[in-house]
Amino acid sequence: MPGTLAPRTLLIRIGVAAVLLVLVMLACALVGPQTISLKAALTAPATGAAPNPDYEIFVRIRVPRILLAALVGVALASAGAVFQALLRNPLADPYILGISSGAGLGVILAVIGGLGWTLWGRSPVAVCAFVGALATVWLVWGIGRITGKYHVTGLLLAGVVVNAFLSALILFLTSIAKSQQLYATIFWLMGNLTEEDFLVLWVGGGGIVAGAIGLFFLSPQLNIISVGPQDARSVGVPVEKIELAAFAIAAFITAVAVSLSGLIGFVGLIIPHAVRLVFGPDHRQLLPLSGLAGAGFLVVADTIARTIVAPAQLPVGVITAILGGPFFLALLIRYSRKVYWPA
Amino acid sequence: MTAAIQAQHVTFRYGRGQPILQDVSFEVPAGTFLAIVGPNGAGKSTLINILAGLLPPRSGDVLLEGTNLRSCRVQDIARKVAVVRQEFIPAFGYSVMETVLMARTLHYGRLGFEGQADQELARQALELTETVEFASRSLDSLSAGERQRVFIARGLAQNTPILLLDEPTSFLDLKHQIKIYDLLKSIQIEKGTTIVAITHDLNLATQYCNQALLLYPLGNRPAESSCYRIGKIADILTPGEIERAFDVRVFSAVVGDERFLIPSAARAGGLHLSGRASQDSSQCKP
Repeated sequence: MPGTLAPRTLLIRIGVAAVLLVLVMLACALVGPQTISLKAALTAPATGAAPNPDYEIFVRIRVPRILLAALVGVALASAGAVFQALLRNPLADPYILGISSGAGLGVILAVIGGLGWTLWGRSPVAVCAFVGALATVWLVWGIGRITGKYHVTGLLLAGVVVNAFLSALILFLTSIAKSQQLYATIFWLMGNLTEEDFLVLWVGGGGIVAGAIGLFFLSPQLNIISVGPQDARSVGVPVEKIELAAFAIAAFITAVAVSLSGLIGFVGLIIPHAVRLVFGPDHRQLLPLSGLAGAGFLVVADTIARTIVAPAQLPVGVITAILGGPFFLALLIRYSRKVYWPA
Repeated sequence: MTAAIQAQHVTFRYGRGQPILQDVSFEVPAGTFLAIVGPNGAGKSTLINILAGLLPPRSGDVLLEGTNLRSCRVQDIARKVAVVRQEFIPAFGYSVMETVLMARTLHYGRLGFEGQADQELARQALELTETVEFASRSLDSLSAGERQRVFIARGLAQNTPILLLDEPTSFLDLKHQIKIYDLLKSIQIEKGTTIVAITHDLNLATQYCNQALLLYPLGNRPAESSCYRIGKIADILTPGEIERAFDVRVFSAVVGDERFLIPSAARAGGLHLSGRASQDSSQCKP
């Protein structure tokens, strides 16, 4: 039937996107300052045999990094799409309710407080970022609820103001920090994908994937909620429950992504828009395709970031913006006859 | 037989203001076509939202088919009543078909997709509202009137025994005003649907509806301080009642065997031309 999404079409599109993503990840894993061959990379050396450098680089350095990029991409792009739907605002992104500045404040407090303590033998930076992010979004959500259940403007303004306030605190703290602390903080704020611990990857990745799948099951309700909360209620959607669940999951996966990789901008804003421009706004399709597209985009951006000035590395956030801006504008112009920006 | 809609002592106020609806009680028998009429700000949309379960009354109860809304889940309310609100442009460009199918959200399968029956209801609704030709176009590419018909189609696709509409024909051309009222009338008669529609067109209401509920504005209520009157069209939509509610002069005219209400432009106590303007106009006379 015209104008609707058939489950079959959706499955085929998700399948194609997933296969493309795997191919992109594989190709990117072979790219780097050190050229490696796929065949050598996939042969594990027998015990006691001479170490195989291609295998070591592939499995210990490139694969974890690419997996991390993909996971963070999934989280930011799906959360971005969900925040845009819940706030009924195409300009929303995963950081709009203060997650970024909350995480940043957590990190700088951890750094200035001295990294003397460790958690299970690990630096507490990620944990502080995670706690800071969730505490902030919880505070903003609470303020938004006070201003009115159905008025997202209050929630948005609370997010903007809390973001500005916490950013000022971060600036204040960076200005009194010692240079070494400053470097650690700024490095984190710019976003980087250098987690090499498989345990962290599994835990974080499990959370992100579970969250993304959970959001998919809310997507039919998100469609009508993105039209209007009253419309959703009148067709029988328990709006407050669904909104709370979607906000909580989106905030959670964003916080996980941010604590794994620092602040990577642009992915959560433009990937959902790009997918919407090409495939339409139906969230049953938008969420899975945004997740896969976000993963692929961030994998490619990170590959460029770690190779373009090798052996040095650029922060991946620089690449996402430089690559994403023109790419998005091209899409916008190509599909401009299909879009309308509400006044 | 229980009435389709029962309002019992419904009172509502926004914030701490004056009550906009005070002690409103009425019954709408199943299969009635009720027109809600009244000036801007009299509480028409508020009343529709209360009847639809979107807004809980401050006090009093609403019963749909004998069930009190206060003890209903939103899912149960949505099976009884569909509401068509005033048209607007959603933030994202859903297609007409997608929009109409959203009415079936409650009935989607476990994976969140519409079934055959849902698609059939949506297709029928599109055909009835003559929107099938732009089924795959996005809502923001339509005119306000076309969009309004799509929202009416969404209400029809919900397939409920009660249908509430907030000014369903305000943006429609003459032909589609008639078509939509014909459509509502045929649904009322063929399916026995109870229909409540807010309208400013007194003559459409007179021609199509069985009953009318007239809401008086806050400052202009009758002496007994009731904020509404409900009854048969012929008893409620009379020149006297309309004049009192709207503060305009209304004439009644009979054409053929139909009665029409004609609002008059000028009214004592209404708008006056300023003295100077009328002087100027008198100078222009030959």
